[in-house]
Amino acid sequence: MAMRQTPLTCSGHTRPVVDLAFSGITPYGYFLISACKDGKPMLRQGDTGDWIGTFLGHKGAVWGATLNTDATKAATAAADFTAKVWDAVSGDEVLTLAHKHIVKTVNFTQDSTCLLTGGNDKLLRLYDLINPEAAPQEIAGHTSAIKKALWCNNDKQILSAADDKTIRLWDRSSMEEVKQLKFDTSVSSMEYLADGEILVITYGKTIGFYNALSLDLIKTVDAPAPINSASLHPDKDFFVAGGEDFKLYKFDYGTKEELESYKGHFGPVHCVRFSPDGELYASGSEDGTLRLWQTAVGKTYGLWKCVLPEDLGVENSEQLYTSPPEIKA
Amino acid sequence: MATPVSVLRLPKGPDPNSRGFDPKSARFIALCRTSIATSASSETNAEQLPREQHARSVLRETFLRCLLSMTNKKVHFLMHERVKVEATFGASDIDVLNFQVSDLHTPIGVQKEALIRCQDVISFTFDS
Repeated sequence: MAMRQTPLTCSGHTRPVVDLAFSGITPYGYFLISACKDGKPMLRQGDTGDWIGTFLGHKGAVWGATLNTDATKAATAAADFTAKVWDAVSGDEVLTLAHKHIVKTVNFTQDSTCLLTGGNDKLLRLYDLINPEAAPQEIAGHTSAIKKALWCNNDKQILSAADDKTIRLWDRSSMEEVKQLKFDTSVSSMEYLADGEILVITYGKTIGFYNALSLDLIKTVDAPAPINSASLHPDKDFFVAGGEDFKLYKFDYGTKEELESYKGHFGPVHCVRFSPDGELYASGSEDGTLRLWQTAVGKTYGLWKCVLPEDLGVENSEQLYTSPPEIKA
Repeated sequence: MATPVSVLRLPKGPDPNSRGFDPKSARFIALCRTSIATSASSETNAEQLPREQHARSVLRETFLRCLLSMTNKKVHFLMHERVKVEATFGASDIDVLNFQVSDLHTPIGVQKEALIRCQDVISFTFDS
């Protein structure tokens, strides 16, 4: 029996959701952090979307948010010219790192000892979280605002994407530029998969897949509409993408075939990410909501329940919803 | 016609009264260090721990009683950036993030109702 995807809507933000990130899998499950223009990033349980807490302290729109692997720390990048590090268990602010302009992106190393930041002052900064008073190391080179910066190659290298239409690969120890990719148009998003060293880049209507070490092109796939963000499934069989037409697209990575498209958001999709176990993907939109989507539609997982035909129409004390009402932010 | 996937319930939304991070959750209890580390984390001294815990409870209780007795009284706040203001204390929120005050005397006038951000406060005094 064909099943129709029921996205789970997470409300609570009052402005567009511009970034989201998952943690790794911890003994308490996995977690999701969302960056929002309302300045109040939120932490949610990754498999259900249940709100856990809100990080209060930023005085401007939060443009980037990330969690460390075990979800004990969070970092956020904001328009108030600061990046902040938070205790993701208590919600307390741990560090405020002053910058000279809007901060757009933050990323922890795997051991959480170093935080990479980037933003409108065109500099990449490396903060030693064990000695936070020490001045950060700075890497200059980009000629426009930095949109996204990520650690790669076992934290030995850094990848950065900027409005100067380049993606640059830097060596951490020498702080020098190793390679550069030039595009005709601005790169809208970048995702890095350590397992397989794959870089997923979106620009215009294209989703490009590159080798993260050599920056060699693997393949490109074109979508029906301008794409703002894409994510490759951990098993590298599917990828999802979302953008200006408000829809989520699911493609086969091997054949490049468009498999499905889902409507649901009431505004452009700004970010989309697969969960660490690949069972769901989350999307953040201009409409102020996050939505969770099943990878295998109809499977029992999180809040989704597989209902067999004989159970339908029977009175159930469990209160099953078939079409959850849309809750507007 | 495809059947929509059933859902047990909707994701829980934010609590309007608190910033969350439930201290009763399993994760919090297991992982959260108290703001001032106990001496138990460095050396194990079995007799010292109950005394230290008792001292913590006394301090916490004193602080809470202080907040109670401050209600509707004039309080002087010493804050960062050399700010000294006086106001009538109303209440604190549950996480001690904000103090609700009335008639806040500032160098640029008297604010009828205001919220003072606790992280900006260095100390406060009042006559009990």
